[in-house]
Amino acid sequence: MRRLAVVVLAALAFPAAASAHASVEYTTPHFGKRLQVSPKAVLLEFDQSVKALPHAIAVFTASGRTVSGPARTSADQRTVSAPVSRLGRGAYTVRWRVISADGHVVSGVFTFGVRHRAPPATEAFGASGPTTQEHVVRWLFFLALALLAGGLGFRLLIAPGELPAAAERRFYRLVGLGAVAVIQIGTLAFLLNAEDALQLPFGTFLYGDLSPLADGTRFGTAFIAMTLGFALVSAFVFLAWLTDRRVLLWPAFVLALGFASGLSLSGHSAADAGSSWLSELADWAHLCAASLWVGGLVQLAFVVWPLAPDLRRNSFLRFSKLATLLICVLLSAGIYLSVLRLPRLSDLWIASYGQVLLVKLALVSLALLWGAAHHFLVRPALERGAPLFSGLPRSLMGESAVGMAILLVAAVLVESKPPPRPAAPPVALHAPAAQR
Amino acid sequence: MQPRAEFVHWMFATGFLLLGLCLLAEAIVGTEVWRRRAWRAYLWPGLTFAIGVLMWPVMVFFTNSAIHMLAHGSWAEVLMLAGAAELGLVRGKLHSRYWRLTMTLAFVLSATALLVHEQNGWFFARAAFLHHALGWTLIVAAVFPLVGVFRPRSLLLNSGFALTFVVVAFLLFCDRDVAPVFGHLSSVAGTPHR
Repeated sequence: MRRLAVVVLAALAFPAAASAHASVEYTTPHFGKRLQVSPKAVLLEFDQSVKALPHAIAVFTASGRTVSGPARTSADQRTVSAPVSRLGRGAYTVRWRVISADGHVVSGVFTFGVRHRAPPATEAFGASGPTTQEHVVRWLFFLALALLAGGLGFRLLIAPGELPAAAERRFYRLVGLGAVAVIQIGTLAFLLNAEDALQLPFGTFLYGDLSPLADGTRFGTAFIAMTLGFALVSAFVFLAWLTDRRVLLWPAFVLALGFASGLSLSGHSAADAGSSWLSELADWAHLCAASLWVGGLVQLAFVVWPLAPDLRRNSFLRFSKLATLLICVLLSAGIYLSVLRLPRLSDLWIASYGQVLLVKLALVSLALLWGAAHHFLVRPALERGAPLFSGLPRSLMGESAVGMAILLVAAVLVESKPPPRPAAPPVALHAPAAQR
Repeated sequence: MQPRAEFVHWMFATGFLLLGLCLLAEAIVGTEVWRRRAWRAYLWPGLTFAIGVLMWPVMVFFTNSAIHMLAHGSWAEVLMLAGAAELGLVRGKLHSRYWRLTMTLAFVLSATALLVHEQNGWFFARAAFLHHALGWTLIVAAVFPLVGVFRPRSLLLNSGFALTFVVVAFLLFCDRDVAPVFGHLSSVAGTPHR
């Protein structure tokens, strides 16, 4: 017992780090760096001593050719380096693996360019590109965002008054589920992307260094901002529920829509050729309108209809007006983005991106027809004071199901690569004399 | 410009120490006396919830390994959940006493994250020792909120619950990344590197 006490006190008297795995402190070249001349070696400096595994550092060209030599560890065991042959113009991927002093294998990946833009780590050599899992996760993220932002928008804009207690409870359950799911699924999406870039088995991936992805890519920056933003949103939603102050839902709603822009600022609309602030804005407006529409339908079908009968007629009429506005935003932003990403009409049936877009357009047409039936047939009848159509709740659920299917196709579209833009026309060989 | 990990651990240690002292005061004077000022009822649950919210920046800014990220994320969630459940009970929005089991869940999940995170034995390295000490403290201490659901006025259980946070704070304060004697307790762990 006394011996144990001595050991405990000794361990605590000489304090230690609770995070003991080796971490990269510095790399040469720095990740994401564009170099003008070829480096002579790739060097990794760790915060504690490490043991280099065989092929601890491997440098690949964009086509996958290895251009690095055997790795060496410095005398203090904190620096590992590998010589590289003279590198030509292009993008390079560095994959590294070492044994940390605590016995764990730590690994990572980063990129750099020689007289060439360094690709983001998610596009490193060996990254396999989006998988079905990533499509599903992206879809679930859209659904969660719709539950959260659409639910809040519905409560604040369509049904701002008192709700029956049961309806209020279900509203908070759905929005709370959306808030929690946005954070969880966002984290999962980041990890899947990182796993794709690192290309490591799960056990090793757990000790993989994700900082080049978190700090060096648009996706990582969006992940950081959105996780923090949605944590704040969930805190506001919780406080609104706890204190019965609906006013607190406003900051939650504004923050949810604001932080949804992380997707637009890290996706095709921000990174691809031809992107501008206008494409980012259009993408964000498209996403917000879709979230408000689908989330609003869910609230109408699953909260107001079954639990607040007195509010059905009013809510339906108000949501119908809002939906018209949302559809206008969705269509105008969607058409602008389609024209931007598919400069040739033939891309619609030739390119895989265009084919997915065609499926989406077909589903959008179905949703528009459904919405038009509600708008032009049901709404006038309700305005005249006609009794509520008994099949309306099922019809609303059907429309929201089509909306969710559109989000699934949108998830595939977001992960797909748009076709390359046509090259600029060659400069005329015989320029007019005035220009010579 | 990230603060060093040890500074972050100390900040959270301060939060846990405050939490533990509030709970200890309530355990000693009794809930009736403690809640003579209405705001005091919200003090420790609010602090727990706030610590959970503040854990998110740690999760997203310290991404030097996936397992660190996941561990910090799980702590953020369980702290927010346990704090939110207790706030709901205090406010009268929740009624079932079984909501208090969220604290047991928080202890067990936090401990699991700590122990899964550390794959070496107790005496392999000092860091390993701290991970195990924190993990097993929380596993054993999970009995306090668990039994406390059925015996909420027990001085022993309430004091044990409060002291758990004091011990966690103490262990977190023991973390020093740049200690000059960052040695290893086991010779197989290699030479001391700091």
